[in-house]
Amino acid sequence: MLACLCTVLWHLPTVPALNRTGDPGPGPSIQKTYDLTRYLEHQLRSLAGTYLNYLGPPFNEPDFNPPRLGAETLPRATVNLEVWRSLNDKLRLTQNYEAYSHLLCYLRGLNRQAATAELRRSLAHFCTSLQGLLGSIAGVMAALGYPLPQPLPGTEPTWAPGPAHSDFLQKMDDFWLLKELQTWLWRSAKDFNRLKKKMQPPAAAVTLHLEAHGF
Amino acid sequence: MASSSGAFSLLLGLYKAQLEPVGGMSGREPEKARVGGKSFLSQVTAAWRGGSILVTGLNYRGLSAEREQQQRKGKCTSQTTRQMAAPVPWACCAVLAAAAAVVYTQRHSPQEAPHVQYERLGSDVTLPCGTANWDAAVTWRVNGTDLAPDLLNGSQLVLHGLELGHSGLYACFHRDSWHLHHQVLLHVGLPPREPVLSCRSNTYPKGFYCSWHLPTPTYIPNTFNVTVLHGSKIMVCEKDPALKNRCHIRYMHLFSTIKYKVSISVSNALGHNATAITFDEFTIVKPDPPENVVARPVPSNPRRLEVTWQTPSTWPDPESFPLKFFLRYRPLILDQWQHVELSDGTAHTITDAYAGKEYIIQVAAKDNEIGTWSDWSVAAHATPWTEEPRHLTTEAQAPETTTSTTSSLAPPPTTKICDTGELGSGGGPSVSLISVPVTLALAAAATTASSLLIW
Repeated sequence: MLACLCTVLWHLPTVPALNRTGDPGPGPSIQKTYDLTRYLEHQLRSLAGTYLNYLGPPFNEPDFNPPRLGAETLPRATVNLEVWRSLNDKLRLTQNYEAYSHLLCYLRGLNRQAATAELRRSLAHFCTSLQGLLGSIAGVMAALGYPLPQPLPGTEPTWAPGPAHSDFLQKMDDFWLLKELQTWLWRSAKDFNRLKKKMQPPAAAVTLHLEAHGF
Repeated sequence: MASSSGAFSLLLGLYKAQLEPVGGMSGREPEKARVGGKSFLSQVTAAWRGGSILVTGLNYRGLSAEREQQQRKGKCTSQTTRQMAAPVPWACCAVLAAAAAVVYTQRHSPQEAPHVQYERLGSDVTLPCGTANWDAAVTWRVNGTDLAPDLLNGSQLVLHGLELGHSGLYACFHRDSWHLHHQVLLHVGLPPREPVLSCRSNTYPKGFYCSWHLPTPTYIPNTFNVTVLHGSKIMVCEKDPALKNRCHIRYMHLFSTIKYKVSISVSNALGHNATAITFDEFTIVKPDPPENVVARPVPSNPRRLEVTWQTPSTWPDPESFPLKFFLRYRPLILDQWQHVELSDGTAHTITDAYAGKEYIIQVAAKDNEIGTWSDWSVAAHATPWTEEPRHLTTEAQAPETTTSTTSSLAPPPTTKICDTGELGSGGGPSVSLISVPVTLALAAAATTASSLLIW
């Protein structure tokens, strides 16, 4: 089972204070965060393809549809439709932040075991980008005045190797990690769309009828 | 009991009696002549009783003494005065015919409903005549038409190489008594081939629908059964109220990593088939095309067209799930499309239209992040604004004013390529009405070159 106890993340350097002069509000950083999720989703597509091929069949088969067993500690993107719609901004951002924190930690574990140098390079690159996304989400939360989620006291996590289990089960865990990561990136895009619309002033929509004629 | 032919000859007799005035048409009371009423029917009954044919199942109440009198005559007599002679015989005939039909069906209707049988196209089938012996003398009929005796094997009907035209109601009768022994309603068809199943979400995140069809017809009734599994959970697929090969599923959870599996089985009297598809929530998202695509010329702008459209009405939440759009346009006379992708907004201005040419414009939609593009919308047509040609002769004589004219009827490069005498040697574009069809022809002829030059 995946046992990700990463010490690094919960001690992220404090987000540098935003330059308050001429502060355009959280809008641009939400847009930036949204753009990052799109970039990461694109990057993940090629990374996942390569990694699943490395795992070999059946993991790289398009119809592979295993039951979700194990990998219980993975943060799940799936949520009831009405619950998702009615999430307040703080909760929405917090859920995203916590999810990616965990996912990044697991990915780093993956990197440790990866067999080929090329895979390790791709994974490392992706981890850096994912770190960037985390920082971006933290920035939005700070701009909106929300506190960053902190780990519970007394459960100070340290990296420890999980209980040994079969090679196949390990591969299953890897498969679900990548799947969950991809789904989270899709969900985040929708989350940040929603946040973007809420932050946007209503008159910002540009209409063609205002365009000057005849020049 | 007299045979059916006997009954018919009696009826004929009765008809004839109707048409000829009978001696008894004298001073009878008019009230006896109840057209179509009980008295005629009673007379019919009486006449038939006279002919010693039992009529079962017909309910004639109250034979009165007068009708008993008629019974002895054995004829359907008209009891009216001469003035009513014309309508009364016809009414009597109509009643007789109706009664005869009832009697006939009573005698010859099958005792049980026809046996329904399904057989495969191209196969051979032997239809036994019910429980009759093999050597019984029978006649077969299909849909009332006699069948040749060479198709018979004893009392059984043998059909080779069944075709669709063989479907019908087959009946076998005892040859002499014409008693109906057995009926078979034969349907010729095929077992079902593997059905074609597809699912799509045009209402994301509300739900998705699945639709199916058979690649080739079976010609006989089929039943379909659809099951939807999300992991191990069974989901309900509600039948579409209008379309019988479609059902709808509602999403309970979004952003699921578990695939959906939709299975369909089809069966009919001749066979069975099934198929299944598996997919992720995101891969089947495909919106409906944008609606109400309208293209308008922009006044005083001969190379512009303003296009507007609306998000499809079936897309439930464009705020949280925004759509992006893809616009394509071309002049009718060219085959190559221009494309523009738009990440938001439902309007766009084309600024590079060929002046004076009619354009065809279409728009497609896609969720910003997931799924596939919709089909192309219904096409909009528009022609850019053109200036009213006024003083034609003066304009045509204006030398080398290409730079200043914005109301040219011909795109400049076209005239350079096809340097015919009519348009002059690289001079200003002629604005005469004659040059317009020429220009159109030139544009059509120089498609690739002109587009290269313009772009």
